[in-house]
Amino acid sequence: MSEFEKLKIVTRYELLKQFRRKRFYGALVITVLAVVLTIGLYQGLDLPKRMGVPQNIIDQHGTELFAIFVTSMGSLAILGAVFFAGDAIASEFEHKTGYILFPNPVKRTTLVVGKYLACFIATAAILGVAYLISAGALLVFYRQVPVGILGSLAIALALACFAIGMAFAFSSVLKGGMGATIATLLAYMVIFPIVSSSLAYAGYNPWFMPDRAGDAMASTYGVSYENAFGGMMGGGPVMSGMAQASQNPTLSFFVLLTYAVVLFGISIRLTKRREMI
Amino acid sequence: MKETIVIDGLSKYYNGFLALDKLSLKVRENEDVALLGPNGAGKSTTLKLLCGLLYPSSGSMYINGVNVVEERERAISEVGVMLETPEFYPFLTPDETLGYLGRLRGMHGREMERRIREMIKLVGLEKWSKVRIEKFSRGMKQRLALAQALLHDPQILILDEPSLGLDPRGMVEFREIIKKAKKKKTILFASHLLTEAAKICNKVAIIDHGKLRFYDDMSRLKKKYRSLERAYLKLTEGAI
Repeated sequence: MSEFEKLKIVTRYELLKQFRRKRFYGALVITVLAVVLTIGLYQGLDLPKRMGVPQNIIDQHGTELFAIFVTSMGSLAILGAVFFAGDAIASEFEHKTGYILFPNPVKRTTLVVGKYLACFIATAAILGVAYLISAGALLVFYRQVPVGILGSLAIALALACFAIGMAFAFSSVLKGGMGATIATLLAYMVIFPIVSSSLAYAGYNPWFMPDRAGDAMASTYGVSYENAFGGMMGGGPVMSGMAQASQNPTLSFFVLLTYAVVLFGISIRLTKRREMI
Repeated sequence: MKETIVIDGLSKYYNGFLALDKLSLKVRENEDVALLGPNGAGKSTTLKLLCGLLYPSSGSMYINGVNVVEERERAISEVGVMLETPEFYPFLTPDETLGYLGRLRGMHGREMERRIREMIKLVGLEKWSKVRIEKFSRGMKQRLALAQALLHDPQILILDEPSLGLDPRGMVEFREIIKKAKKKKTILFASHLLTEAAKICNKVAIIDHGKLRFYDDMSRLKKKYRSLERAYLKLTEGAI
């Protein structure tokens, strides 16, 4: 039997495991609530006006502004990814299931790739539901769905690839799944923003940082970020890096994929060398 | 008879601690060998090395002539393994678990289904085959571990404390299953239970502090030391 056949088997059963876990449905509920809340608050509070978005931008790009808000799925991509990926490798060692799985005629690389694919599919399912609700809301309120939503979804998926890769890298080296989950969340929510802010204060545009993926998603709708939201950013020389927030979404997409490939490669290498002590 | 398992000068360090010290051992086809020794003697380390779960510090291992370090997947393709206290994915049922492992071992279709039913019946889990493993006791997991080890009818069985957690009835049933299976299999069986080992295996290897102290037929050992218990106590003197 080829390794590809084994990969299909591993992915299928890993996916079954993901769909049997309560955390999948927990992530789904959180996602639906978050999207519905965002839509409700945007419409109920008339957010663009309150945020000081110029009226001409609202008139011209009302649909896109709404789309930017309701498809800002960066956090959801991260949340989904760490929910599913944090313990994917570490738990085989922590809970000793590796004693059953590893002594089989299958390469560890195949096992890690299968686990990765299953985590990605589970995360993509969550993101897919979020984008479907958003697209539905766009149709209801604006009678159209901007094509940029596809670009936004692509970047959200690339961010998920990156986050799963990072969670796998932590999961392949740390003892427990919880540690890998927390480490991934801390990296994304604390470490990367510190680096991004520092770069921005120093006058550099931190577009390549993973925590700026949300801006890349927003930029797929073709609305100038500076024009629409410039009033929120303070501007001035110390924030010049932050003020240049509009990003090239294609470039961001490929940068995120590059990060994902590198981190995934690291996790494969670490898992292959890890011993069941 | 050909040598099924060959361990040659195998050493293993854990962060500077020598767990296995140039161990050499040969197991011939259809032999059943009990690996005995006190806690920390190196029994589990030896079995984990053979399954490719650990990397040796030095030395080499071969299963059916295939180097375990260089070609792990090929080397263990004819091996059924039951190590330590087995744990399974709690969200899967025994049927699903055996289906997963069977497919990874190249089984499929009706033949695999028939074999799964056979193994489930053999270990007495018929009523539990569609229940998620999260509800299982330790003894039930032990039974399932034995089922997965025998599932693909492997030529070699590597068992580490396989009757741990079983009730007395389970131990007797387990012993009978192994006795039946061993007629056409090579067995390497690590245990603390001397009586259990004596009932199942014809050969015995006693290791202590990572070194092989004795390796011969059970009958010769009993002749030399009068009983397995006396031999064990004599050969592992001062352990721990």
